[in-house]
Amino acid sequence: MSQKEMNPKDTKESMQNEEIRTPVSEVIRKFVRQKNAVIALAFVLLLVVFAIIGESVAPYGINEYDYSCILQGPSAAHWLGTDEFGRDLFSRILIGTRISLSVGLSAVTVGMICGTILGLLGGYYRGMVDAVIMRICDTLFAFPGIILAIAIVAILGSGLGNVVIAVAVFSTPTFARLVRSRTLALKNAVFVQAARNLGASDARILFYHILPGALPEIIVQYTMSIGSSILTASSLSFLGMGAQPPTPEWGLLLSNGRNYMMTAFHTTLFPGIAIFLTVLSFNLLGDGLRDALDPKLTEG
Amino acid sequence: MLKYTLKRMIGMIPTLIIVVTFVFFFIRLIPGDPARMIAGEQATLEDVEAVRENLGLNKPIYVQYFIYLNGLLHGDLGTSLRTKRPVAQEIASRYVNTMQLTLASLAWATVVGVLMGVWSGKHRGKWQDYTGMTVAVSGISVPNFWLGFLLIMLFAVKLRWMPTTGAGSWRNLVLPAITLGTSIAAIIARFTRSSIIETLKEDYVRTARAKGLKERAVLWGHAFRNSMISVVTVVGLQFGFLLGGSVVTEQVFAFPGLGSLLIESVNYRDYPAIQSLILIFSLQFLVINLLVDILYAVLNPEIKLS
Repeated sequence: MSQKEMNPKDTKESMQNEEIRTPVSEVIRKFVRQKNAVIALAFVLLLVVFAIIGESVAPYGINEYDYSCILQGPSAAHWLGTDEFGRDLFSRILIGTRISLSVGLSAVTVGMICGTILGLLGGYYRGMVDAVIMRICDTLFAFPGIILAIAIVAILGSGLGNVVIAVAVFSTPTFARLVRSRTLALKNAVFVQAARNLGASDARILFYHILPGALPEIIVQYTMSIGSSILTASSLSFLGMGAQPPTPEWGLLLSNGRNYMMTAFHTTLFPGIAIFLTVLSFNLLGDGLRDALDPKLTEG
Repeated sequence: MLKYTLKRMIGMIPTLIIVVTFVFFFIRLIPGDPARMIAGEQATLEDVEAVRENLGLNKPIYVQYFIYLNGLLHGDLGTSLRTKRPVAQEIASRYVNTMQLTLASLAWATVVGVLMGVWSGKHRGKWQDYTGMTVAVSGISVPNFWLGFLLIMLFAVKLRWMPTTGAGSWRNLVLPAITLGTSIAAIIARFTRSSIIETLKEDYVRTARAKGLKERAVLWGHAFRNSMISVVTVVGLQFGFLLGGSVVTEQVFAFPGLGSLLIESVNYRDYPAIQSLILIFSLQFLVINLLVDILYAVLNPEIKLS
């Protein structure tokens, strides 16, 4: 219950600092203060680099078979050991970064775009449009996420492209509801009415005036959803419904590894660590962004 | 209260109809001829026709829809293509296992999650909070199939404390329940923490402290009880997610539940079973959401009064 004594000089200085802070610099300042989030951001950036240059820096090719060293543990030649065909696990995980990241990112991006458009339309026009959109969202919400994804993959067939569609479909209603509620709150704001009075078109009002107001929530939800969508996508691959061999997708690597769990546990361990650290970084990044962007959270 | 319950139940009907309709059309969305797909590529024309006749796919779509609805109302979910037994019977035989797994997971996840959340919330900003929330965010991020394998390696293979797979005794439930409940415990912990932090800011907590109550009494007697109203909602909603999330865990432990039945059905293209299972998962989810809403209204005096 102790409260810091406020020094009048400090207060004055902080007020002066307060005056020159723009909203963006304020958000950056709040974000940078969260060590976990900064480390997570650094890790995510590293993953992005791996995803881009992974193939050219990997010590071995993804399908470079070496039957003389099957299921070997970590060594100087093979940092994370080898799989059942003698392929280097480190190279496969490194190159697989691109696949796992792009599946997660593209699924959530599609879900975000569709959800945002539906939410804007529903919240702005209300009436029949809103009723239909919200009913679709209710229906999609009536299925636990992974069940909906399995249902969609069962219809479309296995494969990474279909996993992207499945994850995008179940991410859409979350964004739609979020953006709809922000749109409802903002559509009667003074600046929106002013834009309307000046003759701005509906599209301009929606995308230039209302959307920026919903952006902080969208960004946080987007970051949070990437982690869960990477998890869902790898779960589907693990279940045999996503990536197909010999694709080095992390969920599939783990699924293959389980057949040799007793003799070569590293084939299960390392792909799992890759998924875990990636999802953890996106979740920590999402937490950090939420705290930095949420005006309700006061400092300290 | 009764009025509120009835209103919520009536409000669920349109969603229920849409869900049932969605599931009905599900089998018809499969690209190509479903009868041909089910009969297999080697099947003769007569075999395909027999499947079509058997599934009623040769009747007009609206007739098929009413036959399907009529069947549902009479508890008839069709016949499994894989086992040739009624799907309802298949589901019933596995339902108890999944329910046991779900309840066991939810029970430990709630106790651990709530305690961890209260601990973190009470020590906001200190090392206890930092530790608790690091564990929680890790719990949300861990792929449960991987966690399952780690647990199998440690407790079943190395230490030999628990069986690796199967069902039937409580020992078979321990590892799958830990695997399934971890992310839920983490979610409950995070939610409890924010709820406790919010409640500790309330005026009545200040009053309780001002009148000289011990911190323990303030926390458990005042803050905890009130913050639990919203935590109950989260716990209830997680129950619905657990039922769906059991799919992956059941697969890891070869646990004979609804989730593994769904995967077996998908692999075999047993469409009557797939559509019934999806319907069952969704209905459970809707019913649980309804019960959570009602429970929330019962617990929250503000809603009760309005």
